[in-house]
Amino acid sequence: MRLTPVVRALTLAAALLPPLVAPLYAQSDTWALTNARIQTVTKGVIDKGTILIRKGLIEAVGPAVAIPADARVMDLAGKTVTPGLIDLTSSLGLAAPAAGGGGGGGGGGAQAAPSGPRGLEPDRDIARELKVAPGDIKSLRDAGIAVVLVSPSRGLFRGMSALVPLRDSVDDSEVLRSQVALHIGYQGVGGDYPGTLLGVIAYQRQAFYDAQRQGLIEDRYRTNPRGIGRPDHDPALDALVPVVRGQKPAFFDANNENEIRRAVRLAKEFNLKATIVGATEGFEAVDALAGRPTVVSMNFPQPAQTTGWSYRLSQRREPNDSAASAKEAQTQIEGNAGALNKAGIKIALATGGTRPADFLANVRKAIAAGLPASVALEALTIRPAELAGAGEMLGSIEAGKIANLVVTNGDILADSAHITTVFVDGIRYEVAPPPARAAGGSGSTTAAAQIGGTWTMTLNSPQGPLDITMTVTQTGATFTGSMVSQIGTNDITGGEIAGRVATWTTVVNVGGQSITINYRGEVDGSRMTGSAELGSFGNATFTAEKKP
Amino acid sequence: MMRTGIFVLPLTAGILAAQTGPDTTRRSTMPVLKMEIPAAGTLVAVTNATIITASHGTIDKGTIIIRNGKIAALGKDLAVPAGAQVIDGTGKYVMPGIIDEHSHSSGEAINEGTRSVTAQVRMQDVLREDDISLYRQLAGGVTTINVLHGSANTIGGQNAVMKLRWGLPVDSMMFAGAPPGIKFALGENVRQTNGGNAPGRPQRYPRTRMGVEELLRESFTRAKEYQAEWKAYDDAKAQGHKGTKDFVEPIPPRKDLQLDALVEILEGKRLVHAHSYRSDEILMLLKVAKDFGFRIASLQHVLEGYKVADEIAAAGTGASTFADNWAYKLEAFDAIPYNAALMAERGVNVTINSDSDERARRLYQEAAKAMKYGGASEETAIRMITLNAAMQLGVDKMTGSIDIGKDADLAIFSGHPFAPTSRVEMTLIDGRVFFDRNKAPTLANLIEQLKRRARPNTTEGAQ
Repeated sequence: MRLTPVVRALTLAAALLPPLVAPLYAQSDTWALTNARIQTVTKGVIDKGTILIRKGLIEAVGPAVAIPADARVMDLAGKTVTPGLIDLTSSLGLAAPAAGGGGGGGGGGAQAAPSGPRGLEPDRDIARELKVAPGDIKSLRDAGIAVVLVSPSRGLFRGMSALVPLRDSVDDSEVLRSQVALHIGYQGVGGDYPGTLLGVIAYQRQAFYDAQRQGLIEDRYRTNPRGIGRPDHDPALDALVPVVRGQKPAFFDANNENEIRRAVRLAKEFNLKATIVGATEGFEAVDALAGRPTVVSMNFPQPAQTTGWSYRLSQRREPNDSAASAKEAQTQIEGNAGALNKAGIKIALATGGTRPADFLANVRKAIAAGLPASVALEALTIRPAELAGAGEMLGSIEAGKIANLVVTNGDILADSAHITTVFVDGIRYEVAPPPARAAGGSGSTTAAAQIGGTWTMTLNSPQGPLDITMTVTQTGATFTGSMVSQIGTNDITGGEIAGRVATWTTVVNVGGQSITINYRGEVDGSRMTGSAELGSFGNATFTAEKKP
Repeated sequence: MMRTGIFVLPLTAGILAAQTGPDTTRRSTMPVLKMEIPAAGTLVAVTNATIITASHGTIDKGTIIIRNGKIAALGKDLAVPAGAQVIDGTGKYVMPGIIDEHSHSSGEAINEGTRSVTAQVRMQDVLREDDISLYRQLAGGVTTINVLHGSANTIGGQNAVMKLRWGLPVDSMMFAGAPPGIKFALGENVRQTNGGNAPGRPQRYPRTRMGVEELLRESFTRAKEYQAEWKAYDDAKAQGHKGTKDFVEPIPPRKDLQLDALVEILEGKRLVHAHSYRSDEILMLLKVAKDFGFRIASLQHVLEGYKVADEIAAAGTGASTFADNWAYKLEAFDAIPYNAALMAERGVNVTINSDSDERARRLYQEAAKAMKYGGASEETAIRMITLNAAMQLGVDKMTGSIDIGKDADLAIFSGHPFAPTSRVEMTLIDGRVFFDRNKAPTLANLIEQLKRRARPNTTEGAQ
């Protein structure tokens, strides 16, 4: 009897592979994904084709691929396969700065930090300190993300990032590329120079001048050491040399217009190979971004947090005018990626810290606001791959590339799409279907998140970070409590929870003036992230962890 | 820093729709900042106005012709050239755009207080163009501000001199050609007398006025060594190139941005604006500057300046003070409202500054106090917020008075600027109208709009 390849493979699979132990064989598995609609990204769409995966790589792809005897076959009729998504804005598996842990850094003329990195460590090699737990990975991978670029989220010289595949267990041997780029930001060092934005930029400028000189001395010494003292061994400075020479990319974490302009100014001053990461107000700085690839965050800011809003808020308004203009601003914010694309700027899309589950939903909003879907698809796959120096490994479905694939029912960017399977390095991970809605429930009447307990919070205010301990007593969808920090103890008023969004207010006294602070946080289990309006002191973001 | 809102109103749809001219540099697409940016390089005539020149008296019923942003002609009975945009100044007063010699507006950081010497930090790095106070200051006739580092440090950061070109990116607000400057500070803030003693907080040197002087001298001694190091390098390089083939190119000294700024001070290229209160510390600073061969461009606050006015004048140093603001800390007790006028009388170049987003909106009233208290002449008082400030900032060739060839930076008032009921109708920078009360989102304008909307078919005056 002649068996079709499919049947043959199925028979083999049934005979050899008890399903429950399948992951053990995972990496060496040979897979044939058949009858799929394939979005190769670089070579168009194959309406009905096969992808052959062997030893973690794509061995063949096309409408007619011979299926070898050892392949397990997955019939994907009616499904779409897209390259695994790549997020260039991750801090996965890195200890929070305050927690110490880290290791790595410490070099660079700065005095030894009492505990862990301070954000002044250009030589910090993230690949060497990854500690990734499967639980960290799942929510990202379930959102279709197969690879992340990991860098610390705070500091002015944060270190060299690592490109990490989202397998269940990852250590430095699985890292795709290490020392991808130097990550640069604008947070100062608490209690020491540089403490504010003023010092941060001055420090960066001085460091690049120092690196230029270091490079010069090293070159001279290499050419002819006669008469030249041995160059100082300074790992931090050495790490900056290829950056200031434009050989190693510099990724600037810059979101609002002023940050973007500051980053571009410094990049021009030293002719850096700079990429702006975040750029949520890129549409305000298109002139500055022109000609630079940009990683665009899908973590949309609130209108009231955007540049120019202080002017807006100062204006006398007609009734309801505020809501209307907030809506108009929202459209503008969601249209950011579209505006940059229209201006000819090459973009990659990234989570920017938004919840993984909201990532693609926000990409769809960006598409609705003017970003062509084809550009969005490239911006989720091949563009970030190229920016991470991995364009030959990742980002498209082509023979020879790593088998990172997302299987969806329907087009991945369609509103109704949901992800069923993700392959990372050829390892198959099933994605559980979204939880069924409560019977008869048409709306999203999710129960209020439970936030009672003690939280440790870091408020990133324009005046610098503030550590706060928050104690919460919850009753149904309301809560009370207090917030304790170096500016005193303040009661929580008006605490309400709608779904997983908590809002509350405190009144603090600073220098004899009382300031009303409005908080809005999104609860995700024992974590909360959100924003706070500090009146004329500006706006802040915060992160909080619930104490177990 | 809390400010109550003033009546700055919405550019609602009708006004929002107002186009931006073809040659405008409007770049903001955000609905919240939509505003009209005036065209540049046009021909403008301000006619039939009382012109307070600040340099050569007042011209009644005069005309100012502006070409390409500069004052091209000035006087009575001037013919208005064809094609000029005419601003009717009948019944109005025109004075030079006000210059605030001491501002912190639009800085996202003010004090890098982690060290007492931070000459390397730059205010220009941290400015933001959407600070609402910039617009409010325009509405108070201010055209140029000196954005200074705070007073936490003996040698603070580098200043930024800005023109308030509201609506443009902050890079376009920089005053081109203004010499660079820097902030110094003396006394209590630097010693951290007030609030610097929190338990557990490491104490920062210096803790006394002795220490402040020592730190200044130590810093400039370092700067001189650095200067010498670079000179030796430059000499060796120049020498070497003339010499033999065996010449080994010397390694340049480390470029130190802090010392670069201090060397610029020693070389007279960077203007020092020094926060000071007491007469003894003022004399100390003048002595240090003299010993190291540089000039202090301006003393800020300088509330005891009247006691040492002759010494300040002899040093060629300016004084930038408050009209009547004092006693907010110990070193600010021995102040008198006659300070500005007395110093001016002794030949000091005196300015009145704001050091406050709020006070900056009414500097013309602050200047008037010099007449009330000290008997200063009208022109002297006007100069305290215009020409004298331009001199202290080294931009008096470009702005600060209404003279032919200078930038057309003008404030047009409804009456005499020193009259209590007068207010600014229009503010021009480089001949461009950056504030126009008729188009501004004022409460009156909003009410007018709402009235019209309520009775869409009624025309004005039909009642």
